[in-house]
Amino acid sequence: MPRPVQPQRSPTAALLLGLILTLAAVVAYSSYIIWQIKGLRQLQSDLAGRNRKDSLQLLRVQNDLNSLALAMRDMLDADEPYPLSAWATQFQRIRADLDDALRREEQVALVERSPEQREFLRSSLAQFWDAADRTFALAQNGKQDEARAEIRVSLQARQAALSTAVARLLVQNNEYEEQVAARTAGIYDRVQRQVYVFLAATLTVIVLTSLYLIHSNRRLFAQLAALSEQRSDLAQKLIATQESTLRYISRELHDEFGQVLTAVGSMLGRAEKHTPADSPLRADLREVREIAQNTLNTVRSLSQALHPVMLDEAGLEATLDWYLPTVERQTGIAVSYEKSGDAFPLSGATAVHVYRIVQEALNNVTRHSGSKQAWVRMRFLPHSLDVEIEDHGAGFAPSQVRQGIGLVAMRERAQLVNGSIEFLHPANRGTLVRLRVPKEAPELNG
Amino acid sequence: MNRRSFLTGLSGIAAAATLRPRLLWAAQPQLPFRLTDVTASAGLRFRHYSGAFGGKFLPEALGSGCAFLDYDADGWQDILLVNGTDWPGHDSGRPTLQLYRNNRNGTFSDVTHAAGLDAPGIYGMGVAVGDYNNDGFPDILITCVGQNRLFRNTGKGTFVDATKSSGLANRQAFSTSALWFDYDRDGRLDLFVCNYVKWSPEHDVFCSLDGKHKSYCTPEAYRGQTCWLFHNRGDGTFEDVTATSGIFDSSSKSLGVALLDYDQDGWPDLIVANDTQPNKLYRNNRNGTFKEVAVDAGVAFSTDGKARAGMGVDTADFTNSGAQGIAITNFDNEMLGLYRPSGKGAYDDVAIAAGVGAPTKSMLGFGCVFADFDLDGSLDLAIANGHIDDTVRNIRGNVGYAQPPQLFLNQGKGMFRDATSEAGPDFSQPKVGRGLAYADFDRDGDVDLLRTTNNGPAYLFRNDQRSNGQGANQSIRLRLVGTQSNRDAIGAVVRLESGGITQSRLVKSGCSYLSQSELPLTFGMGKKDQADRIVVQWPNGRTEEFRNVKAGKSYECTEGKGIVLQSGR
Repeated sequence: MPRPVQPQRSPTAALLLGLILTLAAVVAYSSYIIWQIKGLRQLQSDLAGRNRKDSLQLLRVQNDLNSLALAMRDMLDADEPYPLSAWATQFQRIRADLDDALRREEQVALVERSPEQREFLRSSLAQFWDAADRTFALAQNGKQDEARAEIRVSLQARQAALSTAVARLLVQNNEYEEQVAARTAGIYDRVQRQVYVFLAATLTVIVLTSLYLIHSNRRLFAQLAALSEQRSDLAQKLIATQESTLRYISRELHDEFGQVLTAVGSMLGRAEKHTPADSPLRADLREVREIAQNTLNTVRSLSQALHPVMLDEAGLEATLDWYLPTVERQTGIAVSYEKSGDAFPLSGATAVHVYRIVQEALNNVTRHSGSKQAWVRMRFLPHSLDVEIEDHGAGFAPSQVRQGIGLVAMRERAQLVNGSIEFLHPANRGTLVRLRVPKEAPELNG
Repeated sequence: MNRRSFLTGLSGIAAAATLRPRLLWAAQPQLPFRLTDVTASAGLRFRHYSGAFGGKFLPEALGSGCAFLDYDADGWQDILLVNGTDWPGHDSGRPTLQLYRNNRNGTFSDVTHAAGLDAPGIYGMGVAVGDYNNDGFPDILITCVGQNRLFRNTGKGTFVDATKSSGLANRQAFSTSALWFDYDRDGRLDLFVCNYVKWSPEHDVFCSLDGKHKSYCTPEAYRGQTCWLFHNRGDGTFEDVTATSGIFDSSSKSLGVALLDYDQDGWPDLIVANDTQPNKLYRNNRNGTFKEVAVDAGVAFSTDGKARAGMGVDTADFTNSGAQGIAITNFDNEMLGLYRPSGKGAYDDVAIAAGVGAPTKSMLGFGCVFADFDLDGSLDLAIANGHIDDTVRNIRGNVGYAQPPQLFLNQGKGMFRDATSEAGPDFSQPKVGRGLAYADFDRDGDVDLLRTTNNGPAYLFRNDQRSNGQGANQSIRLRLVGTQSNRDAIGAVVRLESGGITQSRLVKSGCSYLSQSELPLTFGMGKKDQADRIVVQWPNGRTEEFRNVKAGKSYECTEGKGIVLQSGR
């Protein structure tokens, strides 16, 4: 007895929720990463880049200050045949480069400079160039010794102080660079952590959704199997009911109406005999008797069609021997009938289902194939009975298979006899219906 | 097969066998010229002497230079080769510089002694040739380690040492390249001298690669020394204007100098190649002073902002644009600097894009000259290479002590092609090259090459143009003689128009590395028969114009007197 199927809640909503959660996590994480990358870019290009440029300018300043120191050393060495004023051009070149470097440095400087620092740098430079101008003025006036003394006492000390100040700025830049590096490392750490969190969350959502999906699928498949079982059960009951009804109507037609019509015919025959030969009534009675006889034949044919009594009395083989010529006669289709193997008896129910399948197949040939010839082959094999109905007509498309109720009934009947049925396309187009019924077919309700 | 056909077949096979190598050679792109080593046949027996005795003195690795000059004014280029000498306390002989007179038949004669140039005790480095007294005979400045020497040409095949009388005496330095030019356009040649570092045998510094054995020091070990500028007073004496002209720079370590008109104002400017220091570009302020503008012009540093080890330098209009570009040779791993004028007084280093960067990367370049070797109307570039460290192969496997020279052919549109191996097997031999100069010593219309090597011979390569069926390429050679301008016309610019292309040349002394090329100008004409127009802009600013000048000839152009065919060709 099939298990009753309980209506279940659809998993779509839960699945949608899982999808939305996953997408939301991805969007949230992407936004977070974009934000972090933006921060990194700003740190690297805006801050680290500018800081590097600033350091390069400070190095340029320091290089200029070193050049000044070397020039002052050469001036004091006095091993050139030139007066000290000869270095004035060299000083001017260095000064121009120094001014340019400091101007650019101020443009790109990021590190906060204290007002004291700025003032010290500005005043130290001003004092240095003031002292340099004084030195060259003394040299121009021929006061070489005084100029050299000015270099020793004032210029060299100021150059050293400036060099120290610039070195301090470079150290500050370096410290700032380290801070930027630490901030960058912090961002990388945060991003790394978030990656792990995101991965864990995403994996959790995916695992939960997958588990739920598996559970839902199993439940759906179970429901589907139960429904299929119910449907099959219903179909079998329907077929059984149909066969029972048809057998009942067939018997009623054969037994009740057949006996009544037979009696009517006998009575009319007797009445005809008692009627004078030249009486017009006699002709009328004969006509009525013939009508009754025709009606009796029709009722018998209908009874045979609804449920051949031969099936119950003479078996499937004999029924087909009677039925196939009837089909030929009624439809005009030539039916070639082959029979082979050692026949074995079939139960009544099995014979009915096999007969109905042959009947439905030939009906399909008549109605759909357009073919004027059909082949019916019945093979009694050691373990089964194979029945084939073949035509070389139009054949049918899979969509028609799905729509045809007759085909569904044929499958159900095959299933009822524990057999199998195939709908094939022979090489010469058309349709081949192949039914295989096991020899030991169980007795079923039919 | 009869006897005749058999013999014909045999001769065909023999001809094919002998032809095969030629066909293989012909499969290479054949240059329209070939450089042949004629050193021995020309009679050059010079060998550079560095004085090396194991002390690893810095100057030993850097010499020496060479020059083409017409010392006897016969119209044929003679050769001067500078030499070192013994260091104090290590006397082993009396090597001197050598002067070779052109015998006008492809050979030279050593006339050093006869010319009075065999003065001993001169540790020569470079040479600059110029007629500083405008007497029609070129005078010689030999830059030295110690005291430079000025030799005045008497006009009678001899020279006298005019160092003291000219006021150049009593100056000890490590001088390198030098050039003559008329910076104040007064019609007299002034003198610019490069100084390298403050070095003397007494103040030599111990440098070592392994901590035990002495090796040659790099220039960082020594203090720089200013270049010198001497103004020609016109009375045979010179005035040191280094300080007043703005040239003074005690940080420079200069090895090369070249003349150019950087801003095209008709006043000569200077480019100085410095070793491990920024190069200098001195712009003539037209008032006897200069302004150093190398950083603004983009020639002070490499493209990555590094001061390279500049060695030799030459300038020329290698793009036929009318503006002069600059080539500066550098240390190995630094590649050549090829600066193309980009307008507005700035240059772009186009070495890589022009195809000369990568081939020069593993070379240590010294001498370099722009000259039109194939006479196609575009200036080519020749470089003398050679390392200073004879153990460099042990340290850097891909760099050798002896290195092949390089010849880059100008392909037009700013592109050069390395054609060293195609110029002939003689030319591409690896040597420890230093000086490099060119001249048409055989007067066949093309420029030949002279290369010196450190502690080795000098090599003379004769340029032979090939005929490709339509005849060989031709040239127009022009010797300028100044009358109001300096007699050598140094600083004059000549523009030659032909077939829609304008070539320009500057008459210049010095250039390359420690060397000087001939003063006459050579214009490659290809297959053209004549120049449509030649414009001469003399050093004093005056211009003269000549039209329809026939190719394949040598001319002499005297300021204010027109152009005449030079005798002998």
